[in-house]
Amino acid sequence: MTKRTLLWGGAFAAAVLVVAASAPGWVGATTTHHGPRFRVDPDWPRPLPNKWLVGQVAGIAVDRHDTIWFVQRPSTLTTDERGASLTPPRSECCFPAPSVLRFDREGNLLQAWGGMADPGFLSNRCTPAMGCEWPVNEHGIFVDHDDNVWLAGNGGADNQVLKFSSDGTFLLQIGKAGVTGGSNATGGLTGGAPNGTPLLGRPADVEVDPTTNEAYIADGYGNKRILVVDAATGMYRRHWGAYGNVPSDAPPGPYVPGNPPAQQFRNPVHCVRIANDGLVYVCDRVNDRIQVFSKSGAFEKEFFVATNTLGNGSVWDLDTSPDKQQTYLYNPDGENNKVWILARASGTVLATFGRNGRNAAQFHWVHNLAVDSRGNIYTAEVDTGKRAQKFKPAGMDDD
Amino acid sequence: MLEHPSARARPVRPAVPSAARARPWRGAFTGLWALLAAALLATPAAGHDVPGEMRVHAFLKPEGQRLHVLVRLPLALLLNLSLPKRGPGYIDLAHVEDGLSRAIAATDQDLEFFEDGRRLPLARGTARISPPSDRSFESYEKARALLAGPRLSEATDVFWNQGYFDASLEYEIRSPRSTLALDFHVSPGRGDRLKLDLRTLSADGVVRAYELPTGAGEVVLDPRWHQAAWSFVRSGFAHILDGPDHLLFLLCLVLPFRRIDWSLAGMITSFTVAHSVTLIAAAYGLVPSGAWFPALVETLIAVSILYTALENVVRPSPRGRWVVSGLFGLVHGFGFSFLLKSQLQFAGSHLLVSLLAFNVGIELGQLLALAVAMPVLLLLARSGSGRDRLVTVIVSLVVVHTAWHWLTERAEALKKEAWPIPDAASPGALARLGLLAVLVGGLVWLAVRHWRRRAGRALVPDGNTGPAAGEP
Repeated sequence: MTKRTLLWGGAFAAAVLVVAASAPGWVGATTTHHGPRFRVDPDWPRPLPNKWLVGQVAGIAVDRHDTIWFVQRPSTLTTDERGASLTPPRSECCFPAPSVLRFDREGNLLQAWGGMADPGFLSNRCTPAMGCEWPVNEHGIFVDHDDNVWLAGNGGADNQVLKFSSDGTFLLQIGKAGVTGGSNATGGLTGGAPNGTPLLGRPADVEVDPTTNEAYIADGYGNKRILVVDAATGMYRRHWGAYGNVPSDAPPGPYVPGNPPAQQFRNPVHCVRIANDGLVYVCDRVNDRIQVFSKSGAFEKEFFVATNTLGNGSVWDLDTSPDKQQTYLYNPDGENNKVWILARASGTVLATFGRNGRNAAQFHWVHNLAVDSRGNIYTAEVDTGKRAQKFKPAGMDDD
Repeated sequence: MLEHPSARARPVRPAVPSAARARPWRGAFTGLWALLAAALLATPAAGHDVPGEMRVHAFLKPEGQRLHVLVRLPLALLLNLSLPKRGPGYIDLAHVEDGLSRAIAATDQDLEFFEDGRRLPLARGTARISPPSDRSFESYEKARALLAGPRLSEATDVFWNQGYFDASLEYEIRSPRSTLALDFHVSPGRGDRLKLDLRTLSADGVVRAYELPTGAGEVVLDPRWHQAAWSFVRSGFAHILDGPDHLLFLLCLVLPFRRIDWSLAGMITSFTVAHSVTLIAAAYGLVPSGAWFPALVETLIAVSILYTALENVVRPSPRGRWVVSGLFGLVHGFGFSFLLKSQLQFAGSHLLVSLLAFNVGIELGQLLALAVAMPVLLLLARSGSGRDRLVTVIVSLVVVHTAWHWLTERAEALKKEAWPIPDAASPGALARLGLLAVLVGGLVWLAVRHWRRRAGRALVPDGNTGPAAGEP
């Protein structure tokens, strides 16, 4: 009994000491947060049904219900990847999946529609006769506050942005396939698409402002501007180039690190993102920079990321952390194949995660990124990456 | 002749029956049958995913002799009502009036209100369509202003499955202080993954929030203390009987017992005290809040079952079982608390009564489970044929198999959760939990010590118990 008493008494004393030791003042120096850390979820998304396989995942978005949408390119599957769809089938798997896929946070597929791999879609639900011209090379996806799905395209003749309902019903096209009007095209019945919307130049991305119902288009691979249109009708509102200036389509020459910052966007103008405080962030990918504007197009500031990056550039997409202040800006970089974590206010690089590679948590041409309300990050990879990944928050990177 | 005090008499074991000595292969067959039974009978517990769900939002406010209910339904739920459409699929707002009336009637059918047990008929209903971006149902005042205000212009594009049906329903009541209840159920074809987010604004200004699944039956809002107590006794009783992991643990705990005595009572008390403490601690928020914690608790519950079942196979003995039941009881208490947390919304202002009632329900469920298991075990023990040992081993091996699968599944889920990064507050939080564990352990030890003394285990001065070995 004495031993037991000593045991319990000792445990009690230890507990009291630990409680005392945890009092403020005993801990030591304050910690410095560098940025959030993330850990990959290797099981996201769950295997697709129907032996479906995705090709290049060229856009990813989180909607207001915290479900995750991505657009992928079934045409980029190699012959062996789509072996089951051949006649005769050459292998047990796989079939191309529809272009637009929607998942829940756990990775379960909720919806799939659109594109060449959705039987009947291009003959019944999106036809030129309806004014709907599906892009040859899908690029970028956004789901707005009214649950409408916006798609862009950057194929050689893809000069249109499409708006669908969440179940894939065609609603609106902005621009016209095969027709472009340059970076200062404003639309109208004579200078625009047949429906009066502005002509585009291989647009890369869309974001809709829920407060004004205006669609901001990163226009794009052919043009060098941000274009703003009415999200209900597609009618022109305004546009601007780098520094808020009138854009110019004059060839800028190659990007050279160390040169003074270019006065025009280089192609592609790859993303546009609107923060809660009304700032508009633009990805000037090959110039390795982020430019920040007001909603009217007035230039506010710019950040530079890995300015020695050549090739496809360092700023491919942007999204913010889900806290009220949107403290962090996440920039996937498909050239350096990592995600840069910046302080949104200053543009300071705080941390990175990922590296070039094919394993989980590594990247090959990481192209897009989206963040849900819990801070989970979803990335999309093109070229031979052909996948989406999910990263969960894993604390802070502290001193 | 006296023996030296340092010599210890070995405890006297019952003589091994000569029949058993003569058939040593019997043990091998026992093991083989047990393994076969385990392989055939045990199935791995399969995990499952819950797909996305839809939510109905509602406010309820009694004012004078009127009950005002504001309801928001996703338009996708009105699929069967075939609201008129135009263009690619937009709701034809110019011709939707009839559809709205049908939707009001359908809502009245699926969302029933009761005053003191009496079903309330709908006195008045108005409705409108709202776009998906509308946020008016963030508060009662905004929702009421929306429903009282102008409708959308007929040219507004609201896609048929992307907006909301908003309704204002009024019922006549006798008093704003009556006991109100509701029954949320969904007609076939409307979907079965619905939840109702309800906020009630009582006559004295208290706001309560509820999350109700469909098919929960009649739920009393702001119950009296005895209504809350009865509801939670039933809930606790159902919970333990619905929980195969808790029942299996109980079964494994009692399997070695061959009679109803103080050691059995001590073991049950130990389990009861331990799980009560952690259940109450969890109900008062004294637990970590991360998603890792429930996953850890579920994993430890599987560990508890596995350990106890293995102990039954290797060394079945009631001795010291109270320690095992106490330690693991702490974990099971946290497990009980996860359901309790979602139910406490129905406690009204009787949180403590509901909490204690829930615990009583659990104890009653436990007693029922033991009332079924113990007679069977006692009968087997009294048969004297050694079959009780065989049954113990077989049942325990089956449980081992099941528990092992649960453990691997739950550990896999636990690995996916982000563990908390220790910060300045962590040692304090850990210490509080540690202190809790020490206090509980101390209480349990004192209780069992007390019972053992009452059981009259005499100690002779030389440390021997009972007749000394070798004494004729």
